[in-house]
Amino acid sequence: MPWFLHLALRQLFPPGKRFPAFATVSILGVGLGVASLLIVQTVMNGFGEEHRLRIRESFGDCQVVGAAPIEQPEALAKALVARPEVASASLYAEGPALARNGDFSGIAQVRGIDPTDPGQPARKYVYGGSFDDLDDGRIVLGAGLARALRVRVGDRIEIWSPAMAERAEKGKAPLPAEFEVCAVIVTGFTEVDNAAALIPLRRFREIWNLGPRAHGLTLRLKEPALAEATAARLAATRPELRFRPWQDIKKDFLAAIRFEKTMLFFLMFIITLVASFSIGSTLFSAVIRRSREVGVLAALGAARWEVVGLFGLQGLLIGALGTLLGFGLTWTILSFRDGILSAINGLFGGGDMVANVYQFSKVPLHYDAADFVIAAAFTLLTTAIAGLVPALWAAGRKPSEAMRDA
Amino acid sequence: MPELVLQARGLAKAFASPAGPLPVLTDVSLEVFAGESVSIRGSSGSGKTTLLQQLGGLDQPDAGEVRILAPGSGLVAPRTSLGRGVGFVFQNYQLMPELTALENVALAARIAGVPALSATAAARALLVQVGLGARLEHLPAKLSGGECQRVAIARALVNRPSVILADEPTGNLDERTGAEIMDLLLGVVADRGAALILVTHSREFAERAGRRFVLTAGVLTPA
Repeated sequence: MPWFLHLALRQLFPPGKRFPAFATVSILGVGLGVASLLIVQTVMNGFGEEHRLRIRESFGDCQVVGAAPIEQPEALAKALVARPEVASASLYAEGPALARNGDFSGIAQVRGIDPTDPGQPARKYVYGGSFDDLDDGRIVLGAGLARALRVRVGDRIEIWSPAMAERAEKGKAPLPAEFEVCAVIVTGFTEVDNAAALIPLRRFREIWNLGPRAHGLTLRLKEPALAEATAARLAATRPELRFRPWQDIKKDFLAAIRFEKTMLFFLMFIITLVASFSIGSTLFSAVIRRSREVGVLAALGAARWEVVGLFGLQGLLIGALGTLLGFGLTWTILSFRDGILSAINGLFGGGDMVANVYQFSKVPLHYDAADFVIAAAFTLLTTAIAGLVPALWAAGRKPSEAMRDA
Repeated sequence: MPELVLQARGLAKAFASPAGPLPVLTDVSLEVFAGESVSIRGSSGSGKTTLLQQLGGLDQPDAGEVRILAPGSGLVAPRTSLGRGVGFVFQNYQLMPELTALENVALAARIAGVPALSATAAARALLVQVGLGARLEHLPAKLSGGECQRVAIARALVNRPSVILADEPTGNLDERTGAEIMDLLLGVVADRGAALILVTHSREFAERAGRRFVLTAGVLTPA
């Protein structure tokens, strides 16, 4: 071990002192800065991941639509599933309709789906009732729409499609389609929950006079993360169709999540920077206090770079130990995140925002190694600079002045 | 003929003051040979410490030059011989408070590039020689003033320098301890064949050196 590293360690952690105040406070300051940076990043990652998963589950990994309803959707589905990138394909049709329950009505975005498909995403978001009961006479409603219509599972509603208006124009009696509500879903996406109405595709085709056609296909991909590239490849083989990867479906929303994360990173980075500057000023005081020792080291033959190393290493050691402490604090705090959140809610009220607003069962998180690497690199860099500035000042002094001024 | 270990020619130094440059040293020349002891006496503010700093390379003179014998390198500028050609003993000991006596002495050897194990062995031997064999692991705060100065002497000697520069080494000690430290300093320096330049305001201690000088108004004259 170089002598200046040994001395740096001794000066930071003097023997015989149980509580080395300077080192403890500095390391704690950096640790808290790093922990706040990483906690925010990890929770934001969690929210991002959760939202991305929901987008995929709600809209599929890739949607296939055409300029007009697809004429032979079953054949198209078969052809697409034959491709190695595609795991499954399910047909859908959708359109707006008037949903009515007596005096209460609302605009429903009715979607015809295959109720026998075990991969139907709505199954995961059932809040009440049973998705398996969905058949030609039953309907699954989004929670917001069910609220607007004042219906619960077991109640009946009417669906008025545009096709019925066409019937009326032709002088035929426009009879609404009647359904019994078999399940209510909550996805967390307001636009879905306030309008979703799911019925079997067969029934949708009847009500909308769609014949054997479908409005589109929802694809499940083997590599959902590569949906954009896969969609581009598929589009090249079927130029008459549009393939929308999940990243494109909610582009603005995903961009907003990324922006939020970047902004929070910036704010938390400022906290770490402030901690580093406080280390710099404390180290500067320590260097001034140790002026005489700097002079003595020069008298003993220490090179300038070794004196820089002595004090610069102290900044770096504080940064390294603070970063490790920050990692530990991050893991500990996030391990008990739900308990901590409950305690905060208990103290200040506000209820369970995570469940009520975001529809998550617990605070989501996703550890990203890149965040840890970036946080460590930034912290080490700033604390090294914070240590280096006073170190360079100390090393630049004349030994005779250093010994006289102390 | 003993070997020349320190040669100073025409040293001059002035400090800036509101009234203009204040001369502290004027045309100081000195030659010191291996094994001899030299004392420089003067009143407070006479420039003794400034002279020692010029001789040891802790400060640059405004004029003149200093050459010190560095083992293996011949006569070189004192700045390049710090820690090897020249060793310092200060009035306030100037030990590193976080290091034990053994580590303080070994530190000087480590800075000079001696491997850790050899540095520790040399430091231990010297501390035993200066009578601190039982205090090796003590921090400076747990040592008396005399013991701290013994550690400082051991530290100055650990790299076998050709010249020891001692600045008021007994200034912070009581009379008896001061006398003991002088005995030790003169003894171990002579043992090792090094030269000693002792700066002091004490006539009694100055008299014990082989050659004696007085610094008055920046001019060095034989006593």
